[in-house]
Amino acid sequence: MVDESTRKTLSSIPLLQTKAGPRDKELWLNRLKEEYQALIKYVQNNKEADNDWFRLESDKTGTYWFGKCWYVHNLLKYEFDLEFDIPVTYPTTAPELALPGLDGKTAKMYRGGKICLTDHFKPLWARNVPRFGIAHAMALGLGPWLAVEIPDLIEKGVITYQEKSEEADK
Amino acid sequence: MAPSTDWEEIKRLAADFQKAQLSSTAQRLSERNCIEIVTKLIELKLIDVIFTTDGKEYLTSQHLIREIKDELYVHGGRINTVDLAKELNVDLSQICANITEIIKGREVQLVSGYLIAHYYLEKIAREINEKLQLQGQISVGELTLQYDLPAELLQHSVLEKYLGKFIFGKQDVSEPRIFYTEEYIARTKAKIRGALMGLLKPTPIAVIISHCNLTDRLFLSLFDQLKAPGVLTGRQAGALYLPSCYTKSQNDWVMSFYKQNNYLEYDALSRLGISDPKGYVKRLFPNEDLTFLSTCVIGAQIKVQLETALEECISSRSYLDVISLLPSVLSDQDIENVLDALLKNSSRSTILFDNTVFSNHYIENLKQACMPMTQKNAEAVVKSGKYQQFCFEKQMSKATELAPAVHVDHKAERREERRRKAASGKGGGGTQGRETKTKTVKKHARSKQAAHDSDSDDGHNVSKKLQTQLEIVSVEDVENIIKEILENEGLEDLLNRIAEYLQGSLNQTALTIAKETADKLLQDASQNRKQTHVSAQDKINILVNDMKLYEKGLKLLPQDQQASFIKYLLKSLGGDVLGEFCKYAANQCNLSVQVDTLTVEQRNKIINDLTDEFTKPVLALNATLSEQNMELFYQAVDVCLTEFGMILKKIDKKKDKLLILNHREKLISELESCDDPALCLHLAVLAIFTILSQNMLHASGRQVNIIIAFLKSLLKEEDYAKLQYCHELVGKYLTTSDDEEKAEIEDKLKDELSTLKNMVNEIKKYK
Repeated sequence: MVDESTRKTLSSIPLLQTKAGPRDKELWLNRLKEEYQALIKYVQNNKEADNDWFRLESDKTGTYWFGKCWYVHNLLKYEFDLEFDIPVTYPTTAPELALPGLDGKTAKMYRGGKICLTDHFKPLWARNVPRFGIAHAMALGLGPWLAVEIPDLIEKGVITYQEKSEEADK
Repeated sequence: MAPSTDWEEIKRLAADFQKAQLSSTAQRLSERNCIEIVTKLIELKLIDVIFTTDGKEYLTSQHLIREIKDELYVHGGRINTVDLAKELNVDLSQICANITEIIKGREVQLVSGYLIAHYYLEKIAREINEKLQLQGQISVGELTLQYDLPAELLQHSVLEKYLGKFIFGKQDVSEPRIFYTEEYIARTKAKIRGALMGLLKPTPIAVIISHCNLTDRLFLSLFDQLKAPGVLTGRQAGALYLPSCYTKSQNDWVMSFYKQNNYLEYDALSRLGISDPKGYVKRLFPNEDLTFLSTCVIGAQIKVQLETALEECISSRSYLDVISLLPSVLSDQDIENVLDALLKNSSRSTILFDNTVFSNHYIENLKQACMPMTQKNAEAVVKSGKYQQFCFEKQMSKATELAPAVHVDHKAERREERRRKAASGKGGGGTQGRETKTKTVKKHARSKQAAHDSDSDDGHNVSKKLQTQLEIVSVEDVENIIKEILENEGLEDLLNRIAEYLQGSLNQTALTIAKETADKLLQDASQNRKQTHVSAQDKINILVNDMKLYEKGLKLLPQDQQASFIKYLLKSLGGDVLGEFCKYAANQCNLSVQVDTLTVEQRNKIINDLTDEFTKPVLALNATLSEQNMELFYQAVDVCLTEFGMILKKIDKKKDKLLILNHREKLISELESCDDPALCLHLAVLAIFTILSQNMLHASGRQVNIIIAFLKSLLKEEDYAKLQYCHELVGKYLTTSDDEEKAEIEDKLKDELSTLKNMVNEIKKYK
């Protein structure tokens, strides 16, 4: 199951109400508005907890999202590009988060760097349609995935620390 | 337009989002950082702190000590270090490290993982006291279990330390781990005293203890202080308590029983719970003269009683039933033992049957009562010949047993002796003196034989065998006689025993009597034999003499007629001679001959039964009887006579005449008294022949006519005619079957008879 801290984080993200996909025009706007609000809140929470771990922005329609996420291991910060599309069937279908930089480096990943989420994620998401949004997907999907996979990958030497990215971030 | 405004709003929100993302994160130390910092500080030994087990808290050791003390206090002065570690969330090793600091102060001690404060010990001391007051008794072991503390600690730091301060009781002197209250001791004592008082019979301590719910040790230690009315047989748990009242009543019972009955039964004593009856009795009556038997002890009084009764019994010539005088519990063997000791002095005058002592006189009386029967039986046995047979069999068996050769020798010796005697008889020429001599020898030999037969010293074992073999007096006989006497005395159960006893001696007596009788009989027999020998010899002499005379007479008759006369003579008188020989031989061979005159069959039978030495001559003699030759007969007779040790007397001519005369007179006198016509004629003819020829004639009735024919020449005509006539009449008389005619002839004959008789007389006179 999802660990204690994740649950705590999750509960502090406001839930969404509008059930609408990108094709639903006005309702999608409402949805997008709620997505943003949830994300803002999530980021604020993270900042307050000194646990900021990603940057995210979308295109004008709010259907393509991209940004960065990072993980600190042994006092070193490892940073990865993040991108994903809002599927047409959203929010019934969860967005498929992808880390293209890690494509082919780990088994827990689909082609194109889409991460394999835990077994728990999908049923949890399905149960919470339409209340979960992008912020939830981030907290529930990518966060734990990074926490599990990155130290393992570093251990195996698949990924190495890159000074530059850190400096760029700083 | 609503949508445009909405898009504006979206843009604005996206900008807000970016702004929120780009705003600097709050620079605050997160938990992670703190831990990292503190770890760094500890590494640098700048601070001295202790982690809690979850690592979320740090504390200093001073704080830890305070916390431990607080915790100890909260737990009432006792706490496990492990519990402490959990409670304080501090590693056990940290606590252990700090505990040394705490126990320095003496007020707290560490006992097997427990921190124990002095006030805790005080508290449990109070608790223990409460419990002690409640229970009366308490043991360290119990407390150890209850408080889960080492016995040592409880013993020294609690019980002994606070005894008298908080704990009011008494330490057991012999067992320092047990504590009592005074009341408890008093109560227990009372309990034990009560139990002991109440007991009337020996009881195992274990029973008392379990009943009073005590411990062995306590019971035993208190028992000594109690002055209990009784004693313990031992100090072990298996010992018995013997109440003195029990011992006393036991002694009283034994005493009184002994006083009353003068004996004590072991069984009875062991029933009273005395394990060593003999020793006990010895202890109880050290001065008594006691006799220890297998099942009981008897006192002197009984013995004295018995002795006096026995004396009385002997003097009064009666019997004594010992059972009536002895205690009924005595076993047969005991009675026997007692009697053995008792009868040692007077065994000569008493006889013991089963448990009844009889004076010899009494038995003697019984025996006397049986004597007539014994006498009678003995005589009967001798008379029936059983005794002799028995003796003979005994001898036979003895002979075969000892040496068969002796038997043969003995027999041979007898034969030899006989032959010698015969030879001497023959050689001696038959004088009287010689004859007597042989007789004495014979007698001597025979008496010797008899003595040998029943000699008592030549076979004691045989005489013993004799007892078992020949039972003249049976037990039943004796029983029948003494039954009545004994039944009157109520002794019928001893009937068989006494009868058996008497039967032995009576049988002995009977055997003696039988022997005497048999001896007497044997003597009589030998006497008889002597006489028989003489008489047989005389008879044979007479017969042979007669035969010679008759032979002489018949020689007068015509030659052709003689044969039939010889035949008749041999058949009649020769048969008599043989009969005499047979009788004598039978007598010699111990064959009984009841009849006086023997038939031919009887004779033959005897001859067959005779012993070899007699059979041969007698058989030869028998053969001559049918030979019709007088010479052969005489020779055979001679052989017989020598064989039998007899002598034929010489024929005296004068005597012969006398004999003939006697014969004639006898014939005449017979004729006188005779009535039968045939016999009359027969006699008359014989008489006439004798008178006329001066010779005797032995003839049968058939031969009468031959004699008459012979007399024709010697008689007067008329006489001859008369005889002839008579003969005819007699012939008719004997042959006729008509009664009338017979009577007629008889009448005629009667007339003739008188004339016949007269004629005989006349002839006699005339002569």
